[in-house]
Amino acid sequence: MIHLGFRLAPNSRNDEAGSSFTLEVAMTLGARVTAILGPSGAGKTSLLEVIAGLRRNAVGRVVLDETSFLDSRERLCVPPERRGIGYVPQEPALFPHLDVGKNVGYGLRAAVGADRLIDETTALLEIRPLMRRFPRTLSGGEAQRVALARALVTKPRLLLLDEPLAALDSELKGRILPYLMRVRDEAKIPMLYVTHHAGEALALADEAVLLRAGRVEAKGPAREILTPRLLAAVHGDATLENIVDGVVLEIHPEAGTAVLSPTGATPSDSPTGELTLTVPGAPDLKVGRRATYRIASEDILLLRSKPDGISARNVLRGMVLDTDAAGHDAVVRVETSGIEWRIRVTPAAVRELEIETGRELWLAIKTHTFERLGFA
Amino acid sequence: MTEPDDLAILALTLKVALVATMAIVPFGLALAWTVAQWRGRSWVKVVIEAILAMPLVLPPTAVGIVLLMLLGKDGVAGRWFEALGIELVFTWRAAALASAVMAFPLFVRSARTAFEEIDPRLLGVARTLGDGPVGVFRRVALPLAWRGIIAGALLSFCRALGEFGATILIAGNIPGKTQTLALAIFQRAQSGRDADALRLVGLTSFLAIAAVCASELLSQRRGRPFTA
Repeated sequence: MIHLGFRLAPNSRNDEAGSSFTLEVAMTLGARVTAILGPSGAGKTSLLEVIAGLRRNAVGRVVLDETSFLDSRERLCVPPERRGIGYVPQEPALFPHLDVGKNVGYGLRAAVGADRLIDETTALLEIRPLMRRFPRTLSGGEAQRVALARALVTKPRLLLLDEPLAALDSELKGRILPYLMRVRDEAKIPMLYVTHHAGEALALADEAVLLRAGRVEAKGPAREILTPRLLAAVHGDATLENIVDGVVLEIHPEAGTAVLSPTGATPSDSPTGELTLTVPGAPDLKVGRRATYRIASEDILLLRSKPDGISARNVLRGMVLDTDAAGHDAVVRVETSGIEWRIRVTPAAVRELEIETGRELWLAIKTHTFERLGFA
Repeated sequence: MTEPDDLAILALTLKVALVATMAIVPFGLALAWTVAQWRGRSWVKVVIEAILAMPLVLPPTAVGIVLLMLLGKDGVAGRWFEALGIELVFTWRAAALASAVMAFPLFVRSARTAFEEIDPRLLGVARTLGDGPVGVFRRVALPLAWRGIIAGALLSFCRALGEFGATILIAGNIPGKTQTLALAIFQRAQSGRDADALRLVGLTSFLAIAAVCASELLSQRRGRPFTA
């Protein structure tokens, strides 16, 4: 539980573009993972820096689980090294004079159990082969995983993660999301996660905060906050994509496909009683391993009745949760056996298909629209 | 008194310059780091800068006379040293001190620039990883700024090699005792021994060129990016 109530005056030394306003925040965050979204310069990075203790000019209160880190009335400001908060900044800020192994071990004080902790963390984030390399030789995604590992091995009480805007253009394989899902599920460290991917935020976070011009514009359960309308109002460039995470059930090399059992799916009326998805095969997929995919919201077809003789390998029956029009787009939310999809269509399609809440619809998704994220 | 040979003069000069440089480095690092990290009022920084620049812009003899007044038998600092049993004025120690004062700003500027080139996010992350200010200085700032620091030390060393004005006032020009290369060149030229003076010019040029080259090499390789 994090209680925040502070003001941060604009800072002449701050070179972050556009943050010429006061950041003023009053909120309590209780979720395991909270996503923070907002346009560039909304104060997202400053928010994380105040919590980490790197902005000493913040005035107000910052409390994590009964521990006060900042209490201006009591003249209390705990220095960053005594907060026990892990921070992964935008640019991963790896120490250029140290190799990956020494970067990861930088914050480790106690020798007891240190090796095991490093082993576990580097395995979880798949950076073991990088241990002797130097930061300047790493790709953006690799560097970010190393920075994440460096923060994790200190066993922080809270993890702050600042995803760079550049991650929007980064290759799918460079995305850190699948690793963050592992951290969420295995390391169980609460996270505050700045992102520009609304889809990632939905997949990872229980709670979302929209920041604009230094103010909290909206805060609440991620599914309610990350609606296309709200996002468009606050965050013009937030992308909408469907993220599916799951475990590989079968591999069919001859068909060039694999079968994925998505996390969070409820038993369905499919022949096997489970919702499964057909995804493209890949050499490194293994039965029983996790994989994460992105499906762009415009790549899903909506049909009024069950299609017959269709090349798309995934045909799912679903129910419309709601529709949300934003500008020239309409986004339809459809649930299929516990999995929620966001499908972008034209307002005309919404009218012609008579899409409305509660209506039964069929989804057709081609295998090759499943794009894998964050594979090593 | 017989005149010491060139090599003895060279040895004394090196001793004076080395001691001066070694005295500068710890204080200079502390000051450079403090100024580079200063987050308080900006006029404080300006005042420190101005005081620091004094030896660079004042005539060296002016600095020398101030030092002499401070360190002489009746000076404030002179009495402390006397109480400690350290003889200072007109010894090689005074020459080293004069050189140190004159070269100090050069070192601080170089080290400060090197510290300011460090990505502040690295320092912030090191704090979140459990290092206090001293730990961050030792484990991040020093290793990343070392080229600039060494370059600055070499520059100061060169400045100390050639120090004349302040030295002659506070240490005199005593052959075999306080006469460094710069002072010896002056004395030989004054007494018309140009050839003898030129030999010393050659010696001191060689030292200075070597040190400046080393310093340049170090600064040139500094342009490496800090993150991948």
